[in-house]
Amino acid sequence: MYERDASMITVDRPAVVCFPRTAVEVQACVRAAAHHDRPVVARGAGTGLAGGAVPVASGVGGPVVITTTKMDRILSVDVEDRVAWVQPGVVNLDLTRALAGHRMHFAPDPSSQQSCTIGGNVANNSGGPHCLAYGVTSAHVLAVDVVLADGSLARLGALEADVPGYDLRGAFVGSEGTMGISTRIAVRLTPNPPAVKTMLLDFVSVDDAAGCVSGIIAAGLVPAALEMIEGKMIEAVEAFVHAGYPADAAAVLLVEVDGLPGGVAEDAAAVASVGERCGARTVRIAADETERQLLWKGRKSAFGAVARIAPNYYLHDTVVPRTRLVEVLREIYDIAARHDLLVMNVFHAGDGNLHPLLVFDAREPGVLERVHAAGDEIVGASLRAGGVLTGEHGIGLEKKAYMSQMFSADDLDAQARLRAAFDPDERMNPSKVLPAGSRCGDLQGVPEGAWV
Amino acid sequence: MTADVMRAFVNDVGESGPVTCVGGRTAWDVGGAADPAAREVRAPVGIVEHEPAEMTVRVRAGTPVDVLQRELAVGGQRVLLPSPSPDATVGGVLAVGRSDVRRLAYGPLRDVLLEARYVSADGRLIKGGGPTVKNVSGFDLCRLLVGSLGTLGFLGEVVLRTRPVPDASRWHRGDEVDPFALVAELYRPAAILWDGAAAWVLLEGRAVDVREQASVLTRHGMVEVGGPPDLPPQVSSLTPSALRALDPSATGRFVAEIGVGTVHADVGAARAALPVEVVELNRRIKDRFDPRGRLNPGRDPLLGAGAEVAIRTGGGCRLCPTRSATGSDHRRARAERRADP
Amino acid sequence: MKLGVDEDELASCVGCGLCLPHCPTFRVTGEEALSPRGRIAAMREIHWRDAPVDGELVRIADTCVQCRGCETACPSGVPFGHLMEATREALAEDRSLVYQPWWRRLGYRALGHHRLVVAGSRALAVGQRLGLVPSTRLGLPARLPLRSPALEPSGSDVYLFTGCIMDAWQRGTHTATMGVLHAAGAGVELLGHGGSCCGALQEHAGLGKQARSLASRVMAAAAGAAPIIVNSAGCGAMLKDYGRLLGTPEAVAFSARVVDVHEWLAPRVDALPADEWRKLAGPVAVQDPCHLRHVQRSHLAVRTVLRPFVDELVELDDDGLCCGAGGAYALVHRDLATDIRHRKLASIERSGARLVVSANPGCLLHLQAAGVNVRHPMQIVASAVAPEP
Ligand SMILES: Cc1cc2nc3c(=O)[nH]c(=O)nc-3n(C[C@H](O)[C@H](O)[C@H](O)COP(=O)(O)OP(=O)(O)OC[C@H]3O[C@@H](n4cnc5c(N)ncnc54)[C@H](O)[C@@H]3O)c2cc1C
Ligand code: SF4
Ligand code: SF4
Repeated sequence: MYERDASMITVDRPAVVCFPRTAVEVQACVRAAAHHDRPVVARGAGTGLAGGAVPVASGVGGPVVITTTKMDRILSVDVEDRVAWVQPGVVNLDLTRALAGHRMHFAPDPSSQQSCTIGGNVANNSGGPHCLAYGVTSAHVLAVDVVLADGSLARLGALEADVPGYDLRGAFVGSEGTMGISTRIAVRLTPNPPAVKTMLLDFVSVDDAAGCVSGIIAAGLVPAALEMIEGKMIEAVEAFVHAGYPADAAAVLLVEVDGLPGGVAEDAAAVASVGERCGARTVRIAADETERQLLWKGRKSAFGAVARIAPNYYLHDTVVPRTRLVEVLREIYDIAARHDLLVMNVFHAGDGNLHPLLVFDAREPGVLERVHAAGDEIVGASLRAGGVLTGEHGIGLEKKAYMSQMFSADDLDAQARLRAAFDPDERMNPSKVLPAGSRCGDLQGVPEGAWV
Repeated sequence: MTADVMRAFVNDVGESGPVTCVGGRTAWDVGGAADPAAREVRAPVGIVEHEPAEMTVRVRAGTPVDVLQRELAVGGQRVLLPSPSPDATVGGVLAVGRSDVRRLAYGPLRDVLLEARYVSADGRLIKGGGPTVKNVSGFDLCRLLVGSLGTLGFLGEVVLRTRPVPDASRWHRGDEVDPFALVAELYRPAAILWDGAAAWVLLEGRAVDVREQASVLTRHGMVEVGGPPDLPPQVSSLTPSALRALDPSATGRFVAEIGVGTVHADVGAARAALPVEVVELNRRIKDRFDPRGRLNPGRDPLLGAGAEVAIRTGGGCRLCPTRSATGSDHRRARAERRADP
Repeated sequence: MKLGVDEDELASCVGCGLCLPHCPTFRVTGEEALSPRGRIAAMREIHWRDAPVDGELVRIADTCVQCRGCETACPSGVPFGHLMEATREALAEDRSLVYQPWWRRLGYRALGHHRLVVAGSRALAVGQRLGLVPSTRLGLPARLPLRSPALEPSGSDVYLFTGCIMDAWQRGTHTATMGVLHAAGAGVELLGHGGSCCGALQEHAGLGKQARSLASRVMAAAAGAAPIIVNSAGCGAMLKDYGRLLGTPEAVAFSARVVDVHEWLAPRVDALPADEWRKLAGPVAVQDPCHLRHVQRSHLAVRTVLRPFVDELVELDDDGLCCGAGGAYALVHRDLATDIRHRKLASIERSGARLVVSANPGCLLHLQAAGVNVRHPMQIVASAVAPEP
């Protein structure tokens, strides 16, 4: 049960699962694990898509999973300093809801925000639709209390504007649990915008929609969010939320602009005119908050809704330069077609953050090999276009093998040194992020066929 | 061509002997004096690629910030790097790590750097981060390098996030306004500065919005001015609300960044000692990246951004919990530790 | 062990975890094992990998409130209710396990005998008054009714389904409902002999056979084609599910006749006499019973029906998270049920409402036991349109 997260990868069963409530208890768990030479794996809600929370044995025995779900208290909210201290198990959306009375929110809003924890967001440096304008998690974390591999507790970062020394906070955010376990996080609060307009642009061709994305960015507009849903996915989403997504469209863009009312009106008009120039069939503006929420619910349920099409999916998370969206998307279709697979895209278009989703039925013989091969090619195509391996889901176990396509041995060595400065014995979440051999005498690989 | 330039830089840095990287010498004293025995190298110069529709620019670290800004302006863009003087270079500004005065709206300097190609202590060219605006592939070496004072590696070429130049950008000044109240009253102002008496506000964005917000400022008796006040040289950090307690009679002239916490002053405030775990992590990182201590000897980021002040005011060194030691004591201690295997 | 589940249904969970926060037992324990995803993983262990069924696996299944909050939250459309019912049935049928011990089975069976229920309830009420029954410890309402006036049929336009425990303990709600139905112009018929217990509690406990036999009796007791109106969300959900449960054309036809009272009233609400001065001042919070919101999915009708009679209706901010009542759940899993209720109470507190409405007898009892001022929506409407003489 604790051997998997949303990635559906399984490797080893945990030997022990701990449910600490305080930092002191986390320290005790980590020390006990160190004493028995067991690896430690932190776990939030287990919605990670790259297998970050999947335990892998190393040392003498089974891994110790430390679950933060019982550490779910918001400790303090300081409106003047715009900061809240939270425990790592606080659910992302719960925090934003608790802040509503102050007209503030926590800006990173992964599509899984109703379930995922702030600790997981910090560990994965998660993004979300609104990170286009507001920045990913790293931009919203001021300080983190971390239990290090030896059981000591350190505060990385501070509430002050700058701290002397290296940006340890920055190094920790996105480290996927390999540098320690967060026990308390100071997050930056963002004031709610006074005005918001959410638009749905609908296209009969994916190329046009992708062109529209580049057009919006090139026009110097920075929407709060710019998302694309295409193909059959629109239908699946509509079946779940009934938000009036046009099921016959080839692609839709969900664009949100926010700010002061005057600028929002101008931005919305500008987006609409780029849309029309790029061949949008219709431009619909959400009439009220309910309609807006419904449109977002559709976008945010997309990965889940895919099961209505086929029981399994395999998802990549590459980022490509926004000017090359059209060509990369086309290439992805070709790749899927060559491997006789269905591919759908639902993604953070404004950042160029693709989420190509290969859907299949794992019970069909031989399909896994094809999915693997197509995935490899998609990653290759993204990198060739000047992109990167992952924009927000992290490397985890799943994308480890691709790291050497993006980084040289020297680059990986530098990353391994950073990790070693925090965790010299590789006790924290071993076998994640860096491929075997990044440092001498290294980690075991993921067993064949462990994913799915 | 690019490859050649970078190879030459790698060769300059070499694999042994103390070496220091020189930018515009505009913040040369931050983090302690450079070891005079260190050989000087300079990062390469030039803008490699600017694709406005991508909102990124690839530039060599030795390029002056002002030169870069002029080039970006042609495409209607800019990059949020401070430019303390016309000589300040991209690499130097990143290594020092001080944020631009518009941090309130656009975030700290560390969020500007997307990809870094740097030369490591063992003379290799290393890439950290990636060229796209969003990326979580691997550990975040970029943020580690910002503010590292060149003690972990020398920046050769970087990819930076650019932003459109706003339609309107206007400074205002007033004597009768509570700058702390303005943080909540305005929507995302670009900067609010305060010197204990007067306040300055920078509004940026769409012209309609700037007009609308300016009317709020007018109600508070603020008037449009040409620009911000001169910033005193010492920089230190507080929490935003702690700025209220600043007292000109203690600090001398100061300009505080309201809502951010940065204080520019003639005399800085001392900081509390850093906990041992944090000092230890800093030490371990330095030891892993530069075990022989050859990169920028004499510099110590623990004495960098917001920290140098304490030394000059006799506040002691925050590396040692007792705070009795001075910066140079600490450096000596570290040199000894290193000599001792 | 093979669970009688549908393979495709069991395979349909993609493990995304989006259901976790909507599961009351996960919310209060933070344990994956007590989440929908964890429970499905456990079912897969048993069904696909033949894992030995130990006490822990039984606990995982038995602690589920069957609120089905996970179903409405699941974008993949995993029919969790079916999976859990099938699992429990398999567990209950395995005599080597002590899942559903004899005394619980007996208790569930007794519910099918309405006279027994009413008599038992009266005995308890007497006991309470003599101070012999520790009501709080047993989770009983503080003052059970001793005797309530019998309901009188008034026509044949619609049936009103009255239920077992509800009729014994909350007949006042039925009186109110009949008053409202009359005001809407409908003559009300009651179900004949044997039509009292819907079988929901039995079905949820995995006692499928008992449930199916009760279902046949209920169907026999509601002849004709008149709509069958239900004012208990739990019973309504069950009656609507007979079609699937029995799989016969008669059952399908029967289920099609079943409507929740609010669903039936919503399009007729204009026919009710609504006087501005009779409007209840607010704020009144609407607590959606899970089986109305997550199973029947007709919870919005409650608002439509109440709006003309209440000044200020407010929503709770917990996305319809279960209150912990869950039929017999509050009796069987006291501690979990109390923790779950705690969240609901906090949400009610935040809403600022001093009166709460809930359209399910179980929720009413469970919240009343915590001192909440809670009433059935029909009582509110009745006091406006059919004030007692
Ligand atoms: C439907 C769906 C949509 C998603 N959409 C997005 C999206 O839009 N953007 C996005 O960025 N991601 C998205 N994700 C991925 C995932 O939700 C995020 O990565 C999320 O931040 C993970 O949080 P979690 O609490 O589930 O962490 P887990 O999955 O439990 O853990 C993730 C990683 O964090 C580590 N970790 C957890 N807690 C701690 C801690 N306290 N200290 C140290 N390390 C810790 C774990 O070891 C693991 O490596 C989506 C996932 C799903 C299923
Ligand atoms: S039915 Fe309710 S208690 Fe059971 S798993 Fe689903 S949400 Fe949880
Ligand atoms: S039940 Fe549905 S929501 Fe829950 S994990 Fe499975 S697929 Fe996701």
